[in-house]
Amino acid sequence: MRIGIVCPYSFDVPGGVQNHVMDLAEALIALGHEVSVLAPADEDSPLPPYVVSAGRAVPLPYNGSVARIAFGPVSTARVRRWITHGDFDVLHVHEPLTLSLSLLAVLSARGPVVATFHTAMTRSRVLAAAQGVLQIVLERITARIAVSALARKVQVEHMDGGAVEIPNGVAVAKFADAEPLPGWPGECAVGTGGTLGFLGRFTEARKGFPVLRDAFVALADTRPGLRLLVAGPGDPDDLYDQFPPELHERITFLGLVTEPDKARMLRSVHLYVAPNTGGESFGMILTEALAAGTTVVASDLDAFRRVLDGGRAGRLFPTGDPVGLRHAVGELLDDPAGRAALSACGDQVVANFDWPVVARRVLEVYAAAIEATDGRVIDQEWVGLG
Amino acid sequence: MPHMWWVVAGSVVVGLVAAYLIWTAGRVERLQGRAELAARALDAHLLRRAAAAAVLAERRFGVELYAAARIALDAQPEEREAAENDLTRQLRSVRLDPADPDCGAVIAASRRLALSRQVHTDLVRDARSARSRPLVRLLRMGRGHEWPRYFDIDDPTLTVPADVPAS
Repeated sequence: MRIGIVCPYSFDVPGGVQNHVMDLAEALIALGHEVSVLAPADEDSPLPPYVVSAGRAVPLPYNGSVARIAFGPVSTARVRRWITHGDFDVLHVHEPLTLSLSLLAVLSARGPVVATFHTAMTRSRVLAAAQGVLQIVLERITARIAVSALARKVQVEHMDGGAVEIPNGVAVAKFADAEPLPGWPGECAVGTGGTLGFLGRFTEARKGFPVLRDAFVALADTRPGLRLLVAGPGDPDDLYDQFPPELHERITFLGLVTEPDKARMLRSVHLYVAPNTGGESFGMILTEALAAGTTVVASDLDAFRRVLDGGRAGRLFPTGDPVGLRHAVGELLDDPAGRAALSACGDQVVANFDWPVVARRVLEVYAAAIEATDGRVIDQEWVGLG
Repeated sequence: MPHMWWVVAGSVVVGLVAAYLIWTAGRVERLQGRAELAARALDAHLLRRAAAAAVLAERRFGVELYAAARIALDAQPEEREAAENDLTRQLRSVRLDPADPDCGAVIAASRRLALSRQVHTDLVRDARSARSRPLVRLLRMGRGHEWPRYFDIDDPTLTVPADVPAS
């Protein structure tokens, strides 16, 4: 199948949507399909061979953060040319309701269009001003995919349409085969040692870092050798100032990490802790930790409970409760067999999120979109589902 | 010559209105056509699932599943939704083994049917909303087509034991 994928955000900066697009494209290519990805990128930036640049992206404050997008007459012409030359069986756009290449592609498309909605935002403020325009965009989309239950709910309740829920994939092999950082995770025995991991913005309230901090400080008193490995954007001083000085040497801060280093970081800890207090729609990081074979301790949020299969693939603790977290962590560090049992179940859970599996489900949506556009019915074999 | 301007302004307005009407007519036609193609694809997937279920029933699970599949295959349009729901219930009541090729075919067909149903529902909704606009109704655009109809069945997705990891 010839597949054209449009990514609204520039590959020059890392981001969830960009990673999703790259992993999906690679999984589809591995399944034997021809894939071309259109994305904004600087002329001289190195790109994977399947990516076509739509020109430089301009930074634009959008939806609470800065997005680098491309929009305008030049971009429109490039999108049109790419679609004409590509002769795609199906066009797959991501986040089509942002002012971006995706929107331009939807408006220029003639054949079947599949759209993936990542964020749980209702709609862009610009488009909210023009309900008619929104309708014209939406009715050009043949099939919709939502990456989380929350994103799907927004589709159903606010945009008057259904969507197929297909979760984000995880490149399981990349995580499972990553080399731990030298010297990590170190030893862990009954009553001593052990390493906890945290990844994300520790300054952001909903990530719940203070919950982990309180639990760590309390547990470090009674447990010599307990260490904490933190990765994510932020200033080291802001992190260390939260802890008593005598604990500083037991905390290692990696700063912002690349994707490969993230995998190594997850392999370098005994327990990955997700103390989030809310606002998570899916819990991508949990599936990544599970893929790395690391035991997960997470707050009892809906999204996390769903990923962890109700607590069978990882330990849940009451959301926002440092005491509950301390008990869970203390118990699991003393119990290698318990950790192994949770990880074994985690392997089964994460197999459903492996990119080849997820890509096959996306291919079935492509098939449904093509069928609804030209009325032919596609065999499983034709989409590589055999 | 002031009335000259009236003529120019009048022709511009007429031109714009005409362009809008042509565009709207094209839009209604496109949405209507797409809903009809989606209905054909849905029909094909319903037949495929029922056929796969009949094949499976001949080998395993026996007469009740076979009867439900036959009824779904032969149902008249007005009874079809109920018949398909019956088939879904029958399929849910038996234990399907994903490793078995015939079971696998039914599971895959149900999954494809679920997608096809979702797409059909969305496209029918788009077509109906375009056709129920006052201007479209006034000018009776799309009158060559039947009013697009929903196909109201339960979600046919089957929960496969393999999707739920064992404890």
